[in-house]
Amino acid sequence: MMETFTRPDGQTVARTVGELRECFGARVVTTQAVREQHAHGEGMQDAAVPDVVVFPESNEEVAAVLRLANAARIPVIPFGTGTSLEGHLQALYGGISLDLSRMTKILELNTEDLDCRVQAGVTREQLNAEIRSTGLFFPIDPGANASLGGMAATRASGTNAVRYGTMRDNVLGLTVVTPEGRVIRTGTRARKSSAGYDLTRLYVGSEGTLGVITEIQLRLYGMPERVSAAVCPFDTLEGAVESVITAMQMGIPLARIELLDAMQMRASIKYSKLTGFAEKPTLFLEFHGTDLAVGEQIEQMRAITAEHGGSDYRFADRPEDRSRLWKARHDAYWAGLNYIPGKHAFSTDACVPISRLAECIAAARAEVEASGLFCTIVGHVGDGNFHVLVTFDPNVREERKLADRVAARISEIAIGLGGTCTGEHGIGIHKLDALKQEHGEAVEVMRAIKHALDPNDIMNPGKTVPLG
Amino acid sequence: MTAYLDRLETIQSTIKAAAARGRRCQIVGGGSKPWLAHASAAGSTEAEVLATKALSGVVEYEPTELVIVVRGGTPVGEIERVMREAGQMLAFEPPTADGRATIGGTLASAASGPRRAYAGAVRDFVLGIELIDGKGDRLRFGGKVMKNVAGFDLSRLVCGSAGTLGVITEVALKCLPLPKATETRVYELDAAAALRAMNRWYAEADPISATTWVDGRLYVRFAGAEPAVRAARERRGGELLADADRWWADWREQRHPFFALPEQLMRMSCRATVESLEGFNQAIEWGGALRWLHAATEEDRARVRYWTHRAKGYATRWHAPFVETLNELSPEVRALTARLKAQFDPYGVFPAVVSS
Repeated sequence: MMETFTRPDGQTVARTVGELRECFGARVVTTQAVREQHAHGEGMQDAAVPDVVVFPESNEEVAAVLRLANAARIPVIPFGTGTSLEGHLQALYGGISLDLSRMTKILELNTEDLDCRVQAGVTREQLNAEIRSTGLFFPIDPGANASLGGMAATRASGTNAVRYGTMRDNVLGLTVVTPEGRVIRTGTRARKSSAGYDLTRLYVGSEGTLGVITEIQLRLYGMPERVSAAVCPFDTLEGAVESVITAMQMGIPLARIELLDAMQMRASIKYSKLTGFAEKPTLFLEFHGTDLAVGEQIEQMRAITAEHGGSDYRFADRPEDRSRLWKARHDAYWAGLNYIPGKHAFSTDACVPISRLAECIAAARAEVEASGLFCTIVGHVGDGNFHVLVTFDPNVREERKLADRVAARISEIAIGLGGTCTGEHGIGIHKLDALKQEHGEAVEVMRAIKHALDPNDIMNPGKTVPLG
Repeated sequence: MTAYLDRLETIQSTIKAAAARGRRCQIVGGGSKPWLAHASAAGSTEAEVLATKALSGVVEYEPTELVIVVRGGTPVGEIERVMREAGQMLAFEPPTADGRATIGGTLASAASGPRRAYAGAVRDFVLGIELIDGKGDRLRFGGKVMKNVAGFDLSRLVCGSAGTLGVITEVALKCLPLPKATETRVYELDAAAALRAMNRWYAEADPISATTWVDGRLYVRFAGAEPAVRAARERRGGELLADADRWWADWREQRHPFFALPEQLMRMSCRATVESLEGFNQAIEWGGALRWLHAATEEDRARVRYWTHRAKGYATRWHAPFVETLNELSPEVRALTARLKAQFDPYGVFPAVVSS
């Protein structure tokens, strides 16, 4: 149907860079250091360097860049904070890295309607810092302090998804610049609008392949009256998972339920200097609500976990104790990575029906043992989503191959159990094969949609849906 | 199973034949929302009817998973009955139309009920679908797990597409446990005071599962854990509504007298805090985000549209055909809509998304 994308020739690139310079002056950067910084995300360190980095400041400037790029058939790769994990940012065919980090305005804050509109470069921590005094907060928290544009583009989630959902549930509308350079708005301030196709949800999670998200209307939440965090170790991983299944069945509105396996606990105890913790499968929990509701949730949860071999609770009610706990959870990646110095690491992202979670983790563990690589596991248990952090020596080719094989096997196992290869990180370039395994012919429709909305294939080519 | 596969194959071959001969198809589920049928197809005597009624039944239901997989023609009432036995519910509370409404039609029309403002819309509970597109191909989007970011989110694009993209043959839905306690309280208030109460109580984290203001009375349904519902009762007072289940069922199914003349109703979607438009017979639900206005004349409808536009909301005639509702969209978004539609339905087998 489509031909494979070809890298634009040097002359075309040089001419386009010249045209960009006329419009953007010093905000067009071609130095090696800046281009290299825009050549990759986190996770695997493979890089592909863009020809030029542009820093637009408005919708109209983004539109101007896209019009130039579309006319010259030059790829455009939207860039937020550079924290995506699946190779989304690699400039496989060169082109323009469109860095939105200067678009950091909070455009509207509607405290009564519990929503706000932000520019794509606003980070989740910036937003929460700026709205703190209103008593509201935005709950989605991927590990990194990512930009909200990037989070929308990758349909990010985090530790709060069980109670508050993911970006899919919390984006009310978008401003998107199409590859032709048209600025469109999807959704409306009317939250319950149902006019036409749900374009908002088409762009959320499209990984920069359909257009550039420049503004996001987000849902906000009132800060709960009481927040209480707790940690509970288990003798077995199954016991932890069973506890969560029972809690979900009963409709206990847990805000966070995170699982760290014994190996991850060992790494986190060392890295985050946690004292008094056991190297056992451990649940990190958080309860949100009124004083009354939180008290009741804790009581119910203790009764459930006691039946599954988890009773040794430690609570953290003071904000500083809670943040120390959750910082340790968010630093799990760094803890695993640094456990053996000199290693590189990436994270798998399988998501399975929750009843198959313990089985899937055990099967993943077996693959890991067979490979001999050091790996740790964390899981968003309430969603059936877990990450195996696979570490490898970047200087030993065999290790990298083994690591890739472990990752591919885990995707296969998850799909075989009725799950998906990716619960929250996305497809990027790493999971294109798994996408085909999982979705079969539907991938053709995705490709047709990509082609219909981006006929010249300039938007982040080679990602999310296979080319050609 | 064989009968089911036969039926699927018949639908596929009918679509393929229609595509080859330039004919149109009209998808018919329970026939409970006939107004959605597009004039372009319904008026055409050539339209082949694709009936989904035979595509009925629960494919998979594991209550511990909080997931149910059903065929597209399964009646919503039937799904709810099965789930209720396991202590669960479809949290978006769609109308059942006395057993006629199918789950496929519910998705296609994005039909949600009173709990929608507090639990989410139908699309928020859709995990995956199977669809037969305008080429007659069977496609699967999404899956049956809680989170899936593999590729474009096409199962949700299909929600609200009103049969213009394909035949929904299977749906995986997220289930929620039924609340332990439920109680409806009634308050005599004018529209402005009712709007203030709906918004403030929600912001103050009351365990609300539905709100409706009609005939000068605000109905608030509290639901959740027993202590939370009790606390809300003590805090908010009001009068207990006897026979509340029946009242909400009547409201949800639009059997309440307010809905007696549906063709005169405008359905307006706006921010929950937008002040009430005076001079109309109206009802308010979803915490203020959905307003129903009796607008019998073109002049009335124009006034509603003007005022909705100023409030940055969205209003259409209830019972307007899908293609008419698209007129509310900007020309750019309408153009995108047409491009997307062409990918699912390149031969124009299903109803068009542009007025002819």
